Amino acid sequence: MVKPTKLKILWLQSITCNGNAHSFFSHPDFMTLIQKFEVIYHPILDSAYSLDDVINKKLACDILVVEGAFRETGMQKANQEIYAIAKSYAKKAKHIITVGNCSTFGGVFRLYDTESIGGFCFNDETPNESYKLFKKKLISLPGCPAHPRWIGNLLSMILSQRQILLDNFHRPLEVYGYNAHAGCPRSEYFEWKVDSKNYGYKEGCLFYEYGCQAPYTHANCNKILWNEVSSKTRVGTPCFGCTEPYFPKKDLWHTNTLMGIPATMPIGVPRRAYLTLTGVAKSFSIKRLNEPIIKYKK
Amino acid sequence: MKVKYLIEKIEGEAELEFDFKNGLVDNVIISFPFYRGIEEILKDRDAMDALVITPRVCGICNHAHLIASVRAIENGLNKAGININLTQKAISLREFTLSCEIVHSHFKWFYLVALPQLLNLDGIEKPDNYILKASWASTNIVKALAIFSGQWPHASYAVPGGVSCDPTYEDIIQAEALVDEVTRFVENELIGMSIDEYHKTKEISNIKGDMSTIFDMMSKKNIEEKGKSYDRFIVFGEHQIFQTGQYNKKYSNDISFAHIKEQIQHNSKAKSVTYKDMCYEVGPLARAIIAKNDFVLNLHNKYKDSTLIRVYARLDETLRLLMYMKSLLANLNVKELSCTLAKMPKAFEANGVGMVEAARGSLIHQSIIKDGKIQKYNIITPTQWNLSSGTQKEAGVAAQAMKGSISVEEATFVFRTFDVCSVCTTH
Repeated sequence: MVKPTKLKILWLQSITCNGNAHSFFSHPDFMTLIQKFEVIYHPILDSAYSLDDVINKKLACDILVVEGAFRETGMQKANQEIYAIAKSYAKKAKHIITVGNCSTFGGVFRLYDTESIGGFCFNDETPNESYKLFKKKLISLPGCPAHPRWIGNLLSMILSQRQILLDNFHRPLEVYGYNAHAGCPRSEYFEWKVDSKNYGYKEGCLFYEYGCQAPYTHANCNKILWNEVSSKTRVGTPCFGCTEPYFPKKDLWHTNTLMGIPATMPIGVPRRAYLTLTGVAKSFSIKRLNEPIIKYKK
Repeated sequence: MKVKYLIEKIEGEAELEFDFKNGLVDNVIISFPFYRGIEEILKDRDAMDALVITPRVCGICNHAHLIASVRAIENGLNKAGININLTQKAISLREFTLSCEIVHSHFKWFYLVALPQLLNLDGIEKPDNYILKASWASTNIVKALAIFSGQWPHASYAVPGGVSCDPTYEDIIQAEALVDEVTRFVENELIGMSIDEYHKTKEISNIKGDMSTIFDMMSKKNIEEKGKSYDRFIVFGEHQIFQTGQYNKKYSNDISFAHIKEQIQHNSKAKSVTYKDMCYEVGPLARAIIAKNDFVLNLHNKYKDSTLIRVYARLDETLRLLMYMKSLLANLNVKELSCTLAKMPKAFEANGVGMVEAARGSLIHQSIIKDGKIQKYNIITPTQWNLSSGTQKEAGVAAQAMKGSISVEEATFVFRTFDVCSVCTTH
């Protein structure tokens, strides 16, 4: 019997912190998953080829995974521009996955020089030259970092040839069709417009004062949870919108307001409707929501 | 004879240029090629934004950057007359989550760096289960971290005055179970004995499990006594479990930030850093020496600052931290406040320094804040201490340690015993 050939993954890094590689490594079924593929290069794992091989030979690759922001010139590895190398592999690959916000939109590292640094196919929300070349096989997994399951599930979907529906930034809808607010245990406080009184409380919503972007951030963090157990809003940290093209905005811990309500509305919600609803919700003072959930005895 | 070598899978890459004389490494120039400008990205941003941006320096020690960053703000506020007193609960949670990250990073070093590299040196086929072990152990310990911090990597749960989480006993029990599971892994797989037995054993040769493979291979390849550098150590980060101070022939607990100097290196995007114009080693070995850990001191008498003791200190720290983490959780009082600063002042001026111990050593953040905005931000990473090319007077710590190596392979293993992180070094 001839062994079926495995799909070849090449994981290439540009201007990055390595956060996506480490995030993926915390996938609970990492080993089972990765063994279904042939990893020809990976920044953490020992692999059959060296970086020098990747850069100077033309290796075969089915799935190109890129991590980090790109610039046309000035980001070299082994004396070669990494963007050019990535594009040459992108031409041959069947699938291109941009993991993380940097490789998708430019992310944190784009801020150093927005003129020359951007994502692989987008600069913030604007498609660049590479987009025209690669849009047919591009899948975006923005996030800072991308959740391990987003990467793992996508690879498995490609392997099992399942239908992968994408949004206008090429993000899989099964992940990014939700907003990060869905599943937040603070949602009752959101509904009744009860603010958190400070950091460090399980009670209260972070949307009104503390900068939480979850209601308008496309991600399923609060549905599938981080590291299987938690999420930013579950531990009282606002969502910083890390799956979106404008990440990271300024003043991340403060909510900009307009007429007393957050300046940015939950996805698809008309401002007037929200204003009316806020007025109604706030007119009721619900005792339970203004008290601690648990009162430990001294 | 000059040999150029691109060293990879060190959280990025570095270029090493070896100069061999009479078959031995005589000099090494280490260069890190790329600079990402995190400090400049922070300019003019709200002071609190640093808590979100600085973890992005590094995918593997992001949590240490968060803690350094919040400490810099708190130190600045204190100096500006706004007193910040953390509750023991907030202190313990920060200590716990930071310890989780250090332990996770050490697991990755043992299984993804040391074992594959040593087996490569010997041309032995590497079993896949090292990746499995690295992934299982690191995944489970960062899961315990994430219970309190929300996620790993890149959490921002430490805020001026404490932490943003408000854990229940249920959360603590879940974290305790994970620490126990990981401890069991360490006993069964990493050292092949219980931690109690380990503390009774005063011989490296008695250690079993995967660590014995590491120590045996180092001995077989005659590298256990290689890698000696200046035998100078320094620890800046204040923690309940570590001691601050320096060692240079003698101990001193009197250290000051004012004696630290950063310098631009011509060949590299990484700045060198010195204390009183001298290069110092930071990291698990420095922490063990400064804390006068008796087992490490015994070995130090014989091996000085060689590769063996550098590796051993990383193991010993892993076990100590796991025990420490257990006690932190056992004593956590959920009734205390998580955050004592009721409101972050708006247009404040502050000039603060935050120092922590990260997996690879002392990490320092310094911020100057005016009108609530960051004017200047400076980060000094552990790997700058260990891996810079040094000063005009002396080679850097790792460069010195590689001198005398018989081959590029041996020298790069010595280099890797410092647990190299390229992204942190340049940031």
